[in-house]
Amino acid sequence: MVHYKLIYFNLRGRGELARLVLHHQEVAFEDFRFEREEWPKYKAGTPFGQVPVLEVDGKPLAQSNAIARYLARQHGLAGQNEWEQSQADMYVDCIYDLISGTRPIIYETDKEKQKEILQKFLKETVNPHLEKLEQQLIKNGTGFLVGKSITWADLAYYSFFSPMTERFGDSVIDNSPHLKKLVEHVANIPQIKKYVETRPKTTL
Amino acid sequence: MPGYKLYYFNVRGRGELSRLILHYAGVPFDDFRFEGKDWPAFKSKMPFGQVPVLEVDGEKMLAQSHTIARYLARQHGLAGQNDWEQSQADMYVDCIYDLHGAMRTPTWETDPVKQKELFDKVNQDTIQPHLEKVEQHLVKNGGGHLVGQGLTWADIAYYAYFTTPIMTRLGGEVFSKAPQLKKLIETVGNNPNIKKYVETRPVTSG
Repeated sequence: MVHYKLIYFNLRGRGELARLVLHHQEVAFEDFRFEREEWPKYKAGTPFGQVPVLEVDGKPLAQSNAIARYLARQHGLAGQNEWEQSQADMYVDCIYDLISGTRPIIYETDKEKQKEILQKFLKETVNPHLEKLEQQLIKNGTGFLVGKSITWADLAYYSFFSPMTERFGDSVIDNSPHLKKLVEHVANIPQIKKYVETRPKTTL
Repeated sequence: MPGYKLYYFNVRGRGELSRLILHYAGVPFDDFRFEGKDWPAFKSKMPFGQVPVLEVDGEKMLAQSHTIARYLARQHGLAGQNDWEQSQADMYVDCIYDLHGAMRTPTWETDPVKQKELFDKVNQDTIQPHLEKVEQHLVKNGGGHLVGQGLTWADIAYYAYFTTPIMTRLGGEVFSKAPQLKKLIETVGNNPNIKKYVETRPVTSG
């Protein structure tokens, strides 16, 4: 049995997708979390001075998507063939871009300015993406993003849009009924629900 | 052999990595390029209104520059020898994606003095610390490549993004403390297939 240690801040952030993949597949792992003030202690020991890092029997792997993809592939959540695997990669890359787009919003301290940046982000980036996404979901016809069953891509969309709606309201995905249904479906998966109910409560 | 059509602007940008992978592997493809003014005609056909997009056998479309590059690398033996090596290659390419992202804001700055300041800051705060770590990993890995003992798309990615935009903006001095990486990038550049393509590709601003 391989030993996984996932090293990240005590936040959801860029570590949560890997955690969700492992919880969904009910794979045991060490969920090593530290507070921001402790970061200097761990930074030098990471491959690129960043986290998350996954240690696989002590061997380090960095970069949130490389980690989550590795775990998805090892544990049957990556897609049924190479084409599906690439489709899943594609969707997760879209989410990565959306996550990067939220950074100016999260770090803006002026509430009015924050609201403005958020609205701009929703209008210019999120909504056009969601329009295309709805078409893709309809075209795939299974309720999932890729193929006939859940992949890490579905978990990635849940991981991004669930906190977005919590923080900024349901209106974020009101015009995307298929995505809304997918996010609800993932939220109600027993092992996901159980993890979410018991995980540390964090701002991000 | 599948039929590949790569849709992208007539620039290197985010399409070049896939082009380099295909040229390195000696795989023919339709390198479909268009100018900025023609973009509106293609935008609505693309899965997410963005390019690059890889169309396979005239029917299936794949978006996102690194997903396309990874798919092509895997199809043509350039992804790594096993699952672990594949993840290591993924990791390095993600690092490059982040470096490229950090270069974007300075690139858009119109005041040349401010722009140089911003590029210098990115170099100091982001690129140099990253290169320090990469040098250590290259030395530890031995053999001159980022992953395993042979060339992977990770090596091609460092070649692609360091030649454009990093070296075009910061010059060769960016490698003053990274001789191993400099050597690797030169090795990739000297590959006959890469060299021939680079000598004959359209000359573009970015």
